[in-house]
Amino acid sequence: MKNKHVLPGFGLALGITLVYLSLLVLLPLSGLAFKASSLSAGELWNVATSERALASYRVTFGASLLAAGINAVFGLIVAWVLVRYPFPGKRLVDSLVDLPFALPTAVAGITLATLYAGNGWLGRFLEPLGLKVAFTPLGIVVALTFIGLPFVVRTLQPVIEDIEPEIEEAAASLGASRLQTFLRVLLPGVFPALLTGFTLAFSRAIGEYGSVIFIAGNMPLISEITPLLIISKLEQYDVIGATALALVMLVISFVMLLAVNALQWWSANRHHGREKVSL
Amino acid sequence: MSIEICGVGKRFGNFVALDNINLSIPTGELVALLGPSGCGKTTLLRIIAGMETPDGGHVKFAGEEATHLHARERNVGFVFQHYALFRHMSVFENVAFGLRVKPRGERPAENEIRRRVIDLLKLVQLDWLADRYPSQLSGGQRQRIALARALAVEPKVLLLDEPFGALDTKVRKELRRWLRRLHDEVHISSVFVTHDQEEALEVADRVVVMNHGRIEQIGTPDEVYSNPASPFVYQFLGNVNVFHSRVHGQWADVGGGENEEKASDTPDATPSGQAEKKGEALAFVRPHDIDIERSPVAGSIEATVQDVHAIGPIVRVELAHASELIEVEITRERAAGLNLVRGLAVWLKPRQVKVFNVAASQLEEGGSGI
Repeated sequence: MKNKHVLPGFGLALGITLVYLSLLVLLPLSGLAFKASSLSAGELWNVATSERALASYRVTFGASLLAAGINAVFGLIVAWVLVRYPFPGKRLVDSLVDLPFALPTAVAGITLATLYAGNGWLGRFLEPLGLKVAFTPLGIVVALTFIGLPFVVRTLQPVIEDIEPEIEEAAASLGASRLQTFLRVLLPGVFPALLTGFTLAFSRAIGEYGSVIFIAGNMPLISEITPLLIISKLEQYDVIGATALALVMLVISFVMLLAVNALQWWSANRHHGREKVSL
Repeated sequence: MSIEICGVGKRFGNFVALDNINLSIPTGELVALLGPSGCGKTTLLRIIAGMETPDGGHVKFAGEEATHLHARERNVGFVFQHYALFRHMSVFENVAFGLRVKPRGERPAENEIRRRVIDLLKLVQLDWLADRYPSQLSGGQRQRIALARALAVEPKVLLLDEPFGALDTKVRKELRRWLRRLHDEVHISSVFVTHDQEEALEVADRVVVMNHGRIEQIGTPDEVYSNPASPFVYQFLGNVNVFHSRVHGQWADVGGGENEEKASDTPDATPSGQAEKKGEALAFVRPHDIDIERSPVAGSIEATVQDVHAIGPIVRVELAHASELIEVEITRERAAGLNLVRGLAVWLKPRQVKVFNVAASQLEEGGSGI
């Protein structure tokens, strides 16, 4: 017997889905791959593994990873506080979280650069401590942390709302300390969502351009991110070089997303895999 | 372990959840806290568990002060209405949790944990589900796992908050009998909260009836049912007909002089002096304590049949007497003999009546009838 669904036309819906995704995602990406295929393997390798390119990968992926990690920790705390505790101005704080979503990234970049520059509000206190933020890789991490925060918070909020407070009380009545309750009961529950938030923040950070270029200083080999390198190659009409770098980014991003998805699938499967209900 | 509650009060803002509660629960008893929603029964249970702090008063376990102990230091087992199982842990790990979080010195060895968990799962007859996850279990199974988990730490007191509230009727009946047997097997003091009077009367050794943050009556199921201390208890424990009446001396006059009921069987609830002065009183009669007769007999009142419903083994008859609606429950055989039809005039004879004066009854306004 055919299943009755509320929305008609599984065939039609799937068709639209596939066409839409192809046009929007697959076509540009395959165009990129096609363009890159005009390069010989040797050329590609040379461009992709030049010293400047390698340094830019390190900066991009390293800073993104660090920023996503910072966001995972503090985003969890922010999301927890926003869900669990009532406090005055909670709605305001809640909407503040979305600001990095809404703000044009260039504005964010300029603001952060002014703030952390040697004569800026924060920079003037940090610099005497030997902490140079603006125009260093550290500045990149700051910018990427800024733009990544909402991804972690917004992913975690509904999941934390889903945790009944009774779970904590149950753990306490069984003799668990606060730390044990957090590590053994709460964290495993939100871990899949935390991983998703981390991945989103990480992906967003890898692709970030606008906010970073203002604060990074963009010194080759030190604080130059790959997207910027691609742009500068394009500006020099080096389309081939730009394509080669783009392809490398594409492959690395894809592999990393795949790995995180596999991890997610594994962790979700471990807990809710066999969903058949026995009576 | 015995539990003593002395003068415990709790407010949430302006709402008085508990008002000077005194209660003592002897070792080994199964006590039901019974009352309508919002009567404070769950708050009281949570205060015993240490999940809520009372505004005043004391909680003592086995005579020792426990008012300010944290939930994890009280050694109580708590079972929640919605199970509160750890979703990411298997059934086995859920039950083992309380043992695994013990400080290193007290924690049993892994094979000892294994043995105890399997024993507990056998006790709740679910050892074959050890590797499953909570989402794969039915509601009744989840609640039994929650119970096994609570028992794993060998609590001295077991507290259950509407443990069967989320289950369907059949499973609920099965589980509450099973809980009774379990309680007798493991020898601990248990307190469970319920709004279901049938559940409380069937399972508990003693029933504590609560309303508006106060205790209305404490007694065995038989005592609270057959000798309710207040109109609220009367109305809460089963259906009841209420007659407005006048009291003359020892007699309550129900239904404008046609009938008089002796009020002296309730001397505690109706101090006759007070009732005499007030004059007005309410007479309570359970639907199954009324006989229906086709012809007038001594002490009966006339009524007209409004409706007849056959519900399983009993027949519920709705009758009108003056402007009041009266509900009577009789057996099928009796109903067949009477041949009741709508509009028929019959005579009602109450077998057992309890009279409360109006002043006492008015305190109970807002208490639900069923």
